[in-house]
Amino acid sequence: MSDDHPPDDPPAGFQRIDFDRGRPVTFNSHVGTLYCKRGTKGTRDEFVMGFRVHQHMCNPAGGLHGGMMMTVADLVGTMGGGTLVGLRKFLPTVSMTFDFVAPAQRGDWVEGRAEVVRQTRSLLFTDIALTVGDSRILRASQIAKIPSGEGQTFGKARLDRSAEVADPKMSVKGTAA
Amino acid sequence: MSSPSGFRELHEAIGFAAANGPWFERVEGSRVIRAFRPGPQHANAHGIVHGGMLAAFLDSAMGAAVSHTLQRRCVTARLTIDYLVPGRVGDWLQAEGEVLGHDEQVAQVRGRLYGPRHDVLAGLGAFALLSRQRQPKIRS
Repeated sequence: MSDDHPPDDPPAGFQRIDFDRGRPVTFNSHVGTLYCKRGTKGTRDEFVMGFRVHQHMCNPAGGLHGGMMMTVADLVGTMGGGTLVGLRKFLPTVSMTFDFVAPAQRGDWVEGRAEVVRQTRSLLFTDIALTVGDSRILRASQIAKIPSGEGQTFGKARLDRSAEVADPKMSVKGTAA
Repeated sequence: MSSPSGFRELHEAIGFAAANGPWFERVEGSRVIRAFRPGPQHANAHGIVHGGMLAAFLDSAMGAAVSHTLQRRCVTARLTIDYLVPGRVGDWLQAEGEVLGHDEQVAQVRGRLYGPRHDVLAGLGAFALLSRQRQPKIRS
């Protein structure tokens, strides 16, 4: 999207997800910008997705659009849930249920977390929550398919580490783009 | 961008709907049919239409069915979506809702989103009906 909105100013630890790496813009970039934070394995912050609510994500009432909540929840389930169980494949969504618990407003920082309920050979069941601060705005559950064989990798998404380039130790690696 | 006749572009859309449009609508008696033609910006890395985009679009069509059938404004309380087949970029996709039942507070709605060949999404939702006195601009 255009840069006609205030900066995202993500909390510490969040890095922009570079979904397209220089290729034409796909939906995840188009609706974003989306960020990701990785935490200690086994904690609730092992995988956190986040974004700042801007005008282009809102409904006419000025609140966060349900379509944006569903988009991010879908992604938290497949990308986050997959990450939690160590799958690097692209997991197509089979079914989702969304409960729109509360609204969010422009300027809010929204976070999404997944909890894996069960993994079978071919399916992944996850619960997903979107929160603003301590309050839940969306509760969702998802069934995703685990493709047989190697499957496709999860697109080209990489975390954008360019913000770390200022650190001389990191500058050698540069960015993935 | 070409669109089949009888569809009106929803120019009043702002925010998320405008950023992901153009969306179209045709009213046929008691039915409201919404439509859009997904482009590359609606796709995921695998070139099929993003599930979140399809969910958002079906949600809007189901909400439009509530507004049209019951003449009430509403917000989505719960939405269940089954993804049947991938949506293809470039196809003309249509979505519509059917109000199955309602009381003063909640309407139950069945929705379907379909392309030129087959159904893409099946939906079932509970929509909270806003007070008749309030007139907030909620739905797009």
